[in-house]
Amino acid sequence: MILLNWIRENFFGTKLDVAMTITGVLFIYFVLSTVISFILNSDWTLIMVNRQLMLTGLMPQEEIWRIWTIFSLTSILMTISISFWFKINIKGSIFYILLLLIPFLIFTTKNTVLYVLLIMFISIVFFYLGHRSKNSKLKNIVSKIIMISWIILLPICFLILNILDGPKMTLWGGFMINLILAAIAIFAGFPLGILLALGRASSYKLIKLVSTVYIEVIRGAPLVAWLLLAWFVLPKFLPNLFGLSDINIVVRAMIVLSLFASAYIAEVIRGGLQSIPKGQEEASFALGINSISTTIFIVLPQAIRIVIPTVVSTFIAIFKDTSLVFILAITDLLRIGRLIPEQQQAFFGKSIESLAVVALLFWVVSLVLSQISRTIEKKLNI
Amino acid sequence: MKKKVSKKKISVEAKGITKSFGDFQALKGITANIYEGEVVVVLGPSGSGKSTFIRTINGLEEHNSGEITVNGIPLNDDVKNRDVIRGQVGMVFQQFNLFPHLSVLRNITLAPQKVKKLSKSESEELAMSLLERVGIPEQAEKYPAQLSGGQQQRVAIARALAMQPKIMLFDEPTSALDPEMIKEVLDVMIELAQSGMTMICVTHEMGFAREVADRFLFFDEGLIVEEGTPDHFFNNPQEERTKLFLSQIL
Ligand SMILES: Nc1ncnc2c1ncn2[C@@H]1O[C@H](COP(=O)(O)OP(=O)(O)OP(=O)(O)O)[C@@H](O)[C@H]1O
Ligand SMILES: [Mg+2]
Repeated sequence: MILLNWIRENFFGTKLDVAMTITGVLFIYFVLSTVISFILNSDWTLIMVNRQLMLTGLMPQEEIWRIWTIFSLTSILMTISISFWFKINIKGSIFYILLLLIPFLIFTTKNTVLYVLLIMFISIVFFYLGHRSKNSKLKNIVSKIIMISWIILLPICFLILNILDGPKMTLWGGFMINLILAAIAIFAGFPLGILLALGRASSYKLIKLVSTVYIEVIRGAPLVAWLLLAWFVLPKFLPNLFGLSDINIVVRAMIVLSLFASAYIAEVIRGGLQSIPKGQEEASFALGINSISTTIFIVLPQAIRIVIPTVVSTFIAIFKDTSLVFILAITDLLRIGRLIPEQQQAFFGKSIESLAVVALLFWVVSLVLSQISRTIEKKLNI
Repeated sequence: MKKKVSKKKISVEAKGITKSFGDFQALKGITANIYEGEVVVVLGPSGSGKSTFIRTINGLEEHNSGEITVNGIPLNDDVKNRDVIRGQVGMVFQQFNLFPHLSVLRNITLAPQKVKKLSKSESEELAMSLLERVGIPEQAEKYPAQLSGGQQQRVAIARALAMQPKIMLFDEPTSALDPEMIKEVLDVMIELAQSGMTMICVTHEMGFAREVADRFLFFDEGLIVEEGTPDHFFNNPQEERTKLFLSQIL
């Protein structure tokens, strides 16, 4: 009875409600039936054949262990961080697991299932360890270790990709390159963005001018333009400066994306800095704390907390922007998704299937990022 | 129980201080000496420059002309001098201005650690003894938002005391508080005054002023219009503006 009443009140209260409900139901039915019949009627061998290509590009088979190592390290670090820093709630966990299961189901093969199970097992062990150490005496040490691990994760990944005569960077591709580029852009762009935001808020005229001009110039042109610039113009105009003309395309993409990201992050953080009441700075000054320490310990931590949701949206935008590196002839996921139906005879014209998988992968990662941001927000009570 | 003020040692010496905000002159030449151990209450109508005056003493507002000397150190363009003075002068604000992202304990230990280079355990010991003194040792692990206004202001006082200042400035410390919490803050301030702290308080709490003030400074339109003992002010004010003001708040 209560349910019936609730339905009546919420969906059939007024004439407008009735109209909206009917339209909504029809719309949902239409979309769902289209999607489901598409999934059932399509031929997914395209994915089965090309999954390794989509994930790692042209990386040679004998080098794939590098990817597995990176993948395991990242998973372990992620699970231990989640269990250590956050309260686990069942609903959220189920959501994450279902979400992550989609790509796993699509991309796990008979050969790799052992690897995947092994990584899962190790991750679960670390999850448990993280959970246990949360309330133990080791808490502070573990927290430091996790923090440091996150900072050195990226350099280690690079090491793993390159040691023992690793594959040429130009062979990096697929979804891996999107993830690597996004990670670099975020890890380099975030600190740079903080410096730029502080620079723009600085009372030193020259620093302020330089930061402002940098931010406005970078934001003044679309990413495509900067990538093209890196492609054509850099080698011509900067023949020997820092060897920029020689460095390979992937590194150029990393530089452009990091610089681009830093300008946007800087503006977001500047907004946060401006929202901190003047009294915070004054209280700190009145205690005799100098202005550098005041910024580091009082103003910046508060500003960053406030802008976490916006910073994460910027991260997500940057992550999706990495698909533009096809301009530099890098075979990222999107490019592969478009090449398969063009170049492989068996799959001519199967663009929709191919691109649907591309979209799904981007979607899953974006969704996980925004969920993490929401969890952090809740934890910090913003 | 009144302690003795030595009229010899000057803590704060202000000579002809002026301060303008754009075209508006907030201080038009303030001259005053504050002696060691003295409790001075600053009175005056809104906008008369009370806050501006006490904020020039620790350099939160830069004065345009005149001289300020604190414990013998001139407050001038030398940033070192300013930082030394700030270490010796504690300040309590109307809006508490606690650091919301830090626990109560961390609010208090931060400055001793960063400025005086005290170790973690030394500073925490100091912080706990101060929390004891202001009567809320049990709140050490909480965050400012979890405390009542009165408790927050007491933490703010403890935070300022952690630098072991020689002078304390109070800018309307009870104005943002609910009436039932005013007393707990005033009690801490009275205890502080009786311990011999040099204090400059902007406040309209006349009960407090009557009990501990050695001297009143009455501000109007950027000038000290009248000064004297509490007796003088309560029984025998001279200036018309002082009389008018006192009649409004008493
Ligand atoms: N940062 C500022 N910029 C511009 N004008 C200011 C600034 N600070 C203070 N003023 C002006 O200076 C005058 C004196 O201000 P001040 O805050 O010292 O007054 P007050 O005596 O403390 O008043 P109240 O009792 O309202 O706190 C006021 O007219 C105020 O508008
Ligand atoms: Mg004021």
